[in-house]
This record gives sequence, C-alpha cells and structure tokens, in this order.
Amino acid sequence: MSEVDMQVIKPEMMKSYIWLQTADGSIQQVEQEVAMFCPMICHEIIQKGMGSSKNHAISLPQRVNPAMLSLILDYCRFHQVPGRSNKERKSFDERFIRMDTKRLCELTSAADSLQLKPLVDLTSRALARIIEGKTPEEIREIFHLPDDLTEEEKLEPLKNSTDDPRIRLLNRLYARKRKELKERDKLKSVEAEEERVDDRSVDDLLSFINGGNGEVRKFCFTDSKGVKTSKGKKKNRRRKDPQKNASADESVESHEKDSNGLNFVCHRTELDKLRPHPGETSKLPDVEDDAFAHKVLFDDGDIDDEIDPALKEEIDREVEDFARRLNSDWPERMQEILSLGQERRPVHFFH
Amino acid sequence: MEMELDKISNLPGHAIDQILSNLSITEAVRTSVLSSKWRYKWATLPHLAFGNQCFPVSSQDHAIVKNKLVNIVDHVLLLHNGPIYKFKLSHRDLLGITDIDRWILHLSRRPIKEFVLEIWKGQRYKMPSSLFSCHYLIHLELFNCLLKPPLTFKGFKSLKSLDLQHVTLAQDVFGSLISSCPLLERLTLMNFDGFTHLNIDAPNLQFFDIGGTFENISFENTFCLTVISIGLYANVGNEKRRAYANSSSNLLNFFAHLPCIQRLEVQSYFLKYLAIGIVPRKLPTPCVHLNYLSIRMNFNDVEEVIAALCLLRSSPNLQELEVLARPEEHATMATFTNCWEDNHFSLPFNQLRQVKIVGIFGIKPELNFINFLLLASPVLEIMSVKPASINGGWELLKELLRFRRASMQAEIIYLDP
Repeated sequence: MSEVDMQVIKPEMMKSYIWLQTADGSIQQVEQEVAMFCPMICHEIIQKGMGSSKNHAISLPQRVNPAMLSLILDYCRFHQVPGRSNKERKSFDERFIRMDTKRLCELTSAADSLQLKPLVDLTSRALARIIEGKTPEEIREIFHLPDDLTEEEKLEPLKNSTDDPRIRLLNRLYARKRKELKERDKLKSVEAEEERVDDRSVDDLLSFINGGNGEVRKFCFTDSKGVKTSKGKKKNRRRKDPQKNASADESVESHEKDSNGLNFVCHRTELDKLRPHPGETSKLPDVEDDAFAHKVLFDDGDIDDEIDPALKEEIDREVEDFARRLNSDWPERMQEILSLGQERRPVHFFH
Repeated sequence: MEMELDKISNLPGHAIDQILSNLSITEAVRTSVLSSKWRYKWATLPHLAFGNQCFPVSSQDHAIVKNKLVNIVDHVLLLHNGPIYKFKLSHRDLLGITDIDRWILHLSRRPIKEFVLEIWKGQRYKMPSSLFSCHYLIHLELFNCLLKPPLTFKGFKSLKSLDLQHVTLAQDVFGSLISSCPLLERLTLMNFDGFTHLNIDAPNLQFFDIGGTFENISFENTFCLTVISIGLYANVGNEKRRAYANSSSNLLNFFAHLPCIQRLEVQSYFLKYLAIGIVPRKLPTPCVHLNYLSIRMNFNDVEEVIAALCLLRSSPNLQELEVLARPEEHATMATFTNCWEDNHFSLPFNQLRQVKIVGIFGIKPELNFINFLLLASPVLEIMSVKPASINGGWELLKELLRFRRASMQAEIIYLDP
C-alpha cells in the first residue's frame, strides 16, 4: 500500500498513523494504536511528540530491522485488540514463535529494545525450551556458539573464589591420601617425613575448626536430633554416611553415568574437592600429587583399577568421616558464633 | 561466520537472565561450559529456584539426594555474583537441615525480596534469626517451619504477601508478626499450631485465606479486605456452644470490620463457629459488596441454617452462590421446621445469577432451601445441583422439576455425582 493510499484511507478508518524509521533508513506508517503497544514508541509519541509526520519519524533502535519490526507489529496488532480470550492469545503466541532460532534471537533482541516485555518473555521461554535438556555440544551447534573453552577450562572450578576452608581441607586430605596410597603401592618402606608434617597440619586445622573432638560428637548428635521419624542410631549414621557418595565415589564412579551433564553442579563441586586448590599446590610436599589429581580429572574413573579395593574403602571411609564431621559441625558453629554476636550486642547498649 | 551467526550470546543481559530463569538452576549453571561468553552469564541470575528438577531421581537414597542438594545450593550461592531477589528451595526430599541456616544468613545480606522455603519431610524447621533481618522481603512463603523471631525483630516493613502452611508460632509471635507488617496485602495460613486466637490487624490486607484449627478470629483495621476464604477444621463442641449460647454473636463480630468484603468462602465447620451466640435476623450493616458466597453447611443443623439465613439476608447484591452439604452429617431428622419458608417474600436476590449446590442427599431441608432460592431469585440464570450419591437421584429430579421459579430464564442443571 503506497503512502498516498494510506492518506486516503486514514480519515475513513478513523485511525491515526505514526511514522517509524528503522536503522536502514526506511520509513513506514503504522497504526498508532498498534505501535503504541511498544512502551518505547509510546514514550516517543507522548513525551517527545515524535512520529506525527514523515519528517519527525521515530527512529527505532539499531536492533529493530524491518523484518523484525513487521513481526513485532503483527504481535502487537493481535494483542492490542481487547476481549480476546486467554486461549486465543496463547494459541496465537504458540504459532507466532514458530521460527528458526536465529530469528528468535533477533526478535528477542528487537522486542527488548522496544521494551515490549510480554514478547521478550515469550521468546525467552521459547529459547529456554530449546536449550532445555540438550548437551552443551547440541546447544553450541544450534546457536552456533564458538567452542572456545579448553577441556581444562571446562573442568576447572567455575570461579576461583572457592575459599571454603572445608573444601581446602578436604583437598589436602585427598592429596595426602592419594600420596600415601601411591607410596604403599610401590611398597616403599621409608615413611616420608613430610607426610607427618602434613598430617599434623591437617589435624591442627581440623581441631581448630572442630574445637575438640568432644564437641564434634555433640554437634553430630544435635544435628540428627531434628528428624521426626524415630530412627535408631544406625539409621542416623546411614543418613550421614552418604557423604562418601557425595565426595569420593560419585566423582569417580558416576562420572560416566552423568555424561548427560544433569548433575553438573554437584559434579563441579566434587571435582573441585578432588583437585588440589591452586593456592595449595606449592605447599604440597610432592609434585606428583598434583599430577595425580590431574589424572583423576582426565582419566575419569580409571583410578579404581590401580588401587587395592580394601585400601580404597578404608580411605573413603576416613574421608567420608572427615567430611561428615566438617559438614555437621560447620553450620552449628556458625550459628554459635552468630548467636554469641547477637547476645553481646544488647550488653553494649546498656554499658 | 560463526560469530555472526551467534545471535544469542549478544542478547542484552536481562534477556539472557530471562532465558536462564526459564531453565532449572542446573541447566542454567550448565551453560557456563558453552563458550567463553557464557562462562559467567548464569552467575548474575537474580532468581534462584532449587526444586525437584535440580537433579534426576536416579538415587533412591534420600541421604544421597540431600547431600547432592546441599552441594548444589552451596556451590551456586558461592559462585553467584550479583543481587539475589528471589530464592526458592522446595525439594521433596528436603529435611530441615542446618545447612539452610547458612544459606538464609547469606541471603539476608543481600536485598532478597522473595523467599520460599518448603520442607517436605521431617519435623518443623526452625527459621534462623537471620531470616528476620531480611528487610526487603516482599513475599515470604514457608512450609513446615517454626518461627521464633528475635526480640529485636521489628517486622517486615515491605512484606506484601505472607504464606505460612504447616507452621508453628507462639500466640504473641503470631499477633505481632501480622501487625508489624504494615503493607501486608495477602495472607495465607494453613494448618498451623502454637496459636489459637487470630486477631488480624492489617490495614492493607486484601486477600485472606485460612484453614486450620482455632478458637476465635477477629479483625481490626481491615478496611481493604475483599476476599476471604476461611475454614475451621475442627467442629465446635457442644460444650462450647452452650457456654457461649447467650453471648454476643460471632457472626456480628466477624463482619464488624469487613466493610469491603466481596468474596467469601465459609468452609469446613466455620459456619458452626459463626452460629455461636445470639444470631440476629440480619447484620446491622449489610455486606453490599459481597457478590460471591460459598458456604459449607449441615442442612439439619438449625443453628447453622439460621446463621446461613442471616448471612443471605445481609447479602443483597449476591451474584454467585455455592452451597456445599457437609457429607458426614446427613442423618435425616424426623421433625424439622422449615426455616426457609416465607423468607422469599421479604428477601429477593435481585442480582443472583448463578447457584451451585453440591453434595446434597435430597432430604427435606435441602429441598426447602432450593425451593426458597428459586422463588427468591428473579434473575437467576443457572442452578446446578450435584447430589452426593446416585441413590435417590430420580426422587430428587422429580422434586426439582416441580419447583416454581421466580426467574423466567432459570435453568436447572442436574450433574451426576
């Protein structure tokens, strides 16, 4: 329809039109009530008085190209009509987002620049549905994402802010145990002196955090008390035990099972624990420890073949015990510290 | 070429957030291995929801599930970078573990606006005091929790919506909690203990949904309250009924501070509660805004019928009415005076268009009530009747056919039970 036609029709239809200009320079006339559905355009008209003539056309953001504009206007044209049922709107929306992912992204971007929130919500949901349940490789292929992360980067902790002393301690413990294991495997008779040093430092730290063994037991008890169902001590123990699975076993054994990546988050945590903390590496007595840890990362589960199962079990038990104590104890102590702080405050007030 | 095609990575941050917030937290975090641009995109996600989809149900052992869940939440919170506005934790295997304390403390240091915690298993989880220092909370939703705020707690000044289900609160805690949330608009209380007297002092309250066991309920400063759904889950004992028989009417007290009520649902035994005391013929001030009323009642209980009548007489602008018979009390009475007789002449429902009657047995008092409604509703359009059982369906139908109707358009729909 030419501009002249529009001018002729305009009075008959009793509709006002506004002028829009896309980044490529093309100008078009659009029903005002439709265009006003976009908050950005609405703002231009009301606040700045733009769009009333061709010379004062509203220039749209860069991200809105003519193709996207016409799509967005279709959307607005449908939804600005009052009295449509939710069902109608929903089925329109469903049909509307049937397009390739590239266009869906462009549309999201364009709608966003026009502040058209309902459409951004709609397209975002559609994009999320595309991502959902896919492997990283599939997602990369669909969206043409560059695979610019090294395998190492993909496996390393997401961010190096892991300063949790629990994790650090666990890392050290693992490193120590691995080393011990290796040495025993080689049937070396000499007990490395450094080992004892390391041993002590872990114990020191452990007792520092735990504040003595007696308290540990107490905390374990209070922690399990809050369960309604009457479970025997054995049961309680069981509840705690699976730390083993969460720390040692899971990371190694279920590595392959989890290849779909659904367990990614906890996976990360495990890897994080297994791997010596970068800051710690230098302190570790043996460089081989580090290499070993990397082996764990890359050889995925081969590790079991090298270790005597009985030994492995013993180590796992120790590690899990360690982790259990740390886990059950830590929040309690935090609470204690906090409540101390709260109790102290009023005292300060009165003095 | 690749870069050019990669449209999604260059979307503005909040659009990415929008996409990620439509994914489960696990999937959102997983995007960090996609590419360098996606490395930390998830870490600014302002809404975090940890639900059943956090990980697949591959493990039968709850302890494994618990540990995984703890690891996931720890990890996400540790790596998250930016404000967290919404935090939801609701996993079917979640017990009230102390790890939650740590998370709440962490969140309390951020401008958290919405907090949802649902403990599906085990005992009530005692909320840590840090929860009560979340001053920016707008929406708080707790399931199976125990609330004991610190003495220094001054209320949630921004809270607009509070949803407490299966909670324990001391009497004084409950009273002060409600009155110290001045902006409260929506309140849901279901299955609570520790308090039995409900005094609702909330000047901005609009929506109130309650179901539980309680002694009494009163309102104060509830000028804005428009929607109420209220259920009393325990019957009022005869002893109590007799003791308060000559006291002031619960019905009067209940409506004294509800000038704007538009929708009311009287569920379970609450009509029994309203029937206590000397019930007036009608309320001194009619509920002129009430357009929807749902009552569950025992048609054989004269006290309840009188209370219901008072309620109906005081609701001149009712448009929709639902009446549900209480199924457990359907023993027919030998002698029964028809409370519904002659009432229609003084009381036309000039707005009533839809009536739903559910769970009746076809006994005389029920039929009298239907007859009364048909005669008193000149603009009635639909009355649907759904009996409790198929037995006596034909008899009921025959009776229904005979009733005269004040409305020309009235359509009676018999629904199979």
